[in-house]
Amino acid sequence: MYEFTRKTICDGVSFGSIKDSRFKRSRINATLVTPLDKKTAAANALLSCVLTRSCKKYPDFTSLNRKLNELYGAALYPSVQRFGDFQTVTISVSGLDDRYALNGESISSEITDLLCSIIFEPNITDGCFSDNDVEQERRQLIENIDAEFNDKRTYAINRCIENMCRDELFSIGKYGSREDVIALTQENIYKAWKNLLENSRVELYMLGNNSPDKALDEFTKYFGGKSRKISGTTKIISEVGEVKRIIETEEIVQSKLVMGFRSAAPSDIRGRIANSLMSAILGGSPTSKLFMNVREKQSLCYYCASRVDNQKGIMLIDSGVETKNIDKAENAITEQLNSLMHGNITDEEFDSAKKVLKNIYISTLDNLGAMQSWYISGVLGSCLTAPVEEAEIVDEITKDEVIGYANELKLDTVFSLIGN
Amino acid sequence: MNFELIENKRIGEKYYKLHHKSGLTIIVYPKEGFNSTYAQIGTNFGSINNHFITNGREIKVPDGTAHYLEHKLFESEEGDAFTQYAKTGALANAYTSFEKTCYLFSCTEKFRESLEILLDLVQSPYFTPETVAKEQGIIGQEIKMYDDSPDWRVMMNLQQAMYHNNPINIDIAGTVETIAEITPEILYECYNSYYNLNNMVMCIAGNVSPDEVLEIADRKLKDNSPFNTESIFPEEPYEVKSNYTEQRLPVAVPMFCLGFKEKADNKNTVSLKESICTDILLEAFANESSSLYRKLLDKKLINSTFGASYLGGLGYRAVVFEGETHSPSEVAEFIRNEVIELKKNGISPEDFEIAKRSLYGRTVSVFDSPSAIAANVISLEFLGNTIFDMLEETANITLENVNERLKDQLDPDNYSLSVIKGIDD
Repeated sequence: MYEFTRKTICDGVSFGSIKDSRFKRSRINATLVTPLDKKTAAANALLSCVLTRSCKKYPDFTSLNRKLNELYGAALYPSVQRFGDFQTVTISVSGLDDRYALNGESISSEITDLLCSIIFEPNITDGCFSDNDVEQERRQLIENIDAEFNDKRTYAINRCIENMCRDELFSIGKYGSREDVIALTQENIYKAWKNLLENSRVELYMLGNNSPDKALDEFTKYFGGKSRKISGTTKIISEVGEVKRIIETEEIVQSKLVMGFRSAAPSDIRGRIANSLMSAILGGSPTSKLFMNVREKQSLCYYCASRVDNQKGIMLIDSGVETKNIDKAENAITEQLNSLMHGNITDEEFDSAKKVLKNIYISTLDNLGAMQSWYISGVLGSCLTAPVEEAEIVDEITKDEVIGYANELKLDTVFSLIGN
Repeated sequence: MNFELIENKRIGEKYYKLHHKSGLTIIVYPKEGFNSTYAQIGTNFGSINNHFITNGREIKVPDGTAHYLEHKLFESEEGDAFTQYAKTGALANAYTSFEKTCYLFSCTEKFRESLEILLDLVQSPYFTPETVAKEQGIIGQEIKMYDDSPDWRVMMNLQQAMYHNNPINIDIAGTVETIAEITPEILYECYNSYYNLNNMVMCIAGNVSPDEVLEIADRKLKDNSPFNTESIFPEEPYEVKSNYTEQRLPVAVPMFCLGFKEKADNKNTVSLKESICTDILLEAFANESSSLYRKLLDKKLINSTFGASYLGGLGYRAVVFEGETHSPSEVAEFIRNEVIELKKNGISPEDFEIAKRSLYGRTVSVFDSPSAIAANVISLEFLGNTIFDMLEETANITLENVNERLKDQLDPDNYSLSVIKGIDD
C-alpha cells in the first residue's frame, strides 16, 4: 500500500508525500490557499494562467509545451477552486514514472524542476509579466467565465449559489468577476504573485513512485524560514428568512430547478460523514430517494441529485424538467425530503447508501488525482483522516444521526431557469 | 476451460483472456494492490446499427432504439437492477455510443454478487408496453438536456452536414418523436439480434482473479447460438453534404466543429495502426506545442478548449477540430490553409518525435486506471486487437507511416463547418 508522510517546512507551509509504487505516472502539486476576497480573486486566477504559460527557462507558450511533450506528454495545469470562504490556486505537473521512459530519462527530476521554475522563476522583467502572456490569458479567462453560461446545469447551480449567498464571500466566483478580470493591471498580477508566495498557506504534495527527497529539498530552499499566519474562517449561516425565489428565462427546451438549503457544517469527522450519508440517502446515487421516486416512479426527469458542502454548510438539489412540471418536481423533491426528516429510512436504503459511500472513499486509493484531492481537502478542512478510516466510521453512523442532520436543512433559495 | 496469460514486458503488465464456451470473450486484468474492481460488458451494437439482416429477415428500427434498449435492460421480471446493486454497494451505469452499448459497475466489496447482477442484467430482457411507456418521460428529458447542450449540438450538426446517408448523422438517443415508435417487439428484435454473447466482450480490471470470474461465468452464462446478424450501411458519397451549418442557442462564446471527411467504406473499419498514425499526426499538427495552435492563439481565434480528434468507423471517417471562438469562419479558413501546407510538406522528423513521445506517455497512463483499461480493452477487442497492441504500435510507428497516412486524410476541399452562435450574435 501507500506511505503517507507530511512535514512542516515552516509555519503555514507543509510538504506531503504519498509514496505508491502501483502507478505509472507521478504528480507533484503546489496548492496556495488564501481567503476569498473580491479585491484579489481575479488576480489570483489570472496569475495561475500566466504562470503556467511560460517561465524564465521556457519563455514562451510553444517552448514550454514542447518541453512537456518531450517529457512523454507531461501535463502542467492550473486549477482554481473555492473551498469554504477560501480560494485555492493549485499548479500541478504530472508525468510518466522514470521506469517507463523509452530512453532511460529521469522524468521525475525534470517535472520537479519544472514546477519550481513555474512558481518561483516566472517570466518577469522589471516587475512585469510578459504583456503578450497577460493579454492572451486575460482574453481566455474572460471567455472561460463567459462560457460558464453555455452549460445550463452548471450555470443554474452557480446562479443559485450567487443568489443564496449574495451577502457572503462565498458568492464571489472562483475566478472573480468578468469586470474584475478586465480591470487587472500588471501591478495587480505581480502583487498577487508576491502575496501568494509570501502570505498564503502552502500545501505541497508529491504522489507516486518517485522519491520525494529532491522536491522537499527544493521547496525547503525556497520556503524555509518564511513562516506565515493564515487568518479567516468560513462564515456559516444556519438561519433563513422567507424563501428567496428567483426565476430567469432562456431560450432552452428543458427547464432547470435548483434548490439551495442551509445545512449543518459539522466540525468533526463523524459529523461530516453523517451529513454526507444523509445527502447520499436523499440524492447521491441511483438507489437514492430522489432517483427512485422523482425519476423512476414519476418519470419527471433524467437527473435529480443532491450534494452537500460540509465546509460551507449548504446543500443543493438540482434537476432538469419540463417547464410545466417544474412545480410538480419541486413538490416531489420536498415530499422525499420531508419523508427523510420524519425518519423514513428503510434498512435497505440506509445500508445501500453506506456501501456506496464506503465504495467511493475506498476507490480514491486507486487514483492519484483523487488521493491528492482527498488529502488537500482533509488538511484544509482540519480533518486529516485516511480513506480507510473514514470508511470504518461510515459503519458506525446511526439512523438517528442522519435524521438529525436532515432536520437541520432549511430551504433558503429556489432558482429556476425556465425555457421560453 | 483455461485462461490464456498475455504479457507485456515493456511496461510489466499482464492479463488473462478466455473465449468462454457460452460465446463471450472474457478478459480479467488483475491490478496488484488495487482496492476497487471495475467490470464492463459491451455488445458491438450502437446507434449506427439501425438496419440489419437477422436470420434472413431485414429489419429497420426507429432512431434511438439501441439507447432505449440500454435503459430498459435494467428492468427484469424480478425488478430493476439498481435495486439489486443497492444491496452490494456497487456503483452501476451504462452508456450507448455510435458503435457499442456497455454496462458497468465498480465496487470495493461484494464483487461476486455484483457480477452476478451484471450477467443477469444483460441476459434477462423483460419489456412490456407499461415498462416501455414509463421510460418515455425519462429519456424524453435526457434528449431535451442534450438539445440544450451546445457541445453536443455542435458535434451532431457537424455529422449531419458531413454525411448524406451514414447513420452517424443520427442522434444516439433519437428524438421525442422517434422514441414514441419504440415497442417491446422492436426491443426484443434488437436484443435477440445483437445481444448474442458471441458479439460481446467483458473486461474486469482491478482487484480480481481469473478463477473467481470463471466460476461465476460458468454458472451464469447461457450457451449462445452463433452470431447471425449483419448490419447494413447505406452507400455514402465521398463529398460532404454541406460546407456549413449553423444553430442558435443561448451561448456566451460561440462554438465550432470543423470536420474533414475522408474516404471510408462499409466493410473495413479504422485499423489500430491507422488510428494511432492519425493521433500522432494530430498531436504534431494541432496540440499546444504546434505552430498551428500558436498562430491561432496569437490571432486570438481560439482558447484552451481547442482540440483535434478523429471519428471513424464503418462508412464514416473524419478529422474534427473543435473549440470556442468569436470568429468561426476565420478559424476554419486558417486551419484549411495550414492543412494545405501540411499536405505539401508532411510532418517534420522533430515534430514527429515529440508527438510520438507525448502519445506514448499518455498511452502508458491508461494502465493506471481500471476503468480506462476496461473501456480500451472492449473497443480494441471489437477491432481484433489487444490493449498491448495499442502500446506496441505506438512505440513502433515511424514518420513514414504517419506521412503515408496523411495522404488519405485532411482533404482541404472536403470539409464541413458547424457553428453554434448566441441568440443575439
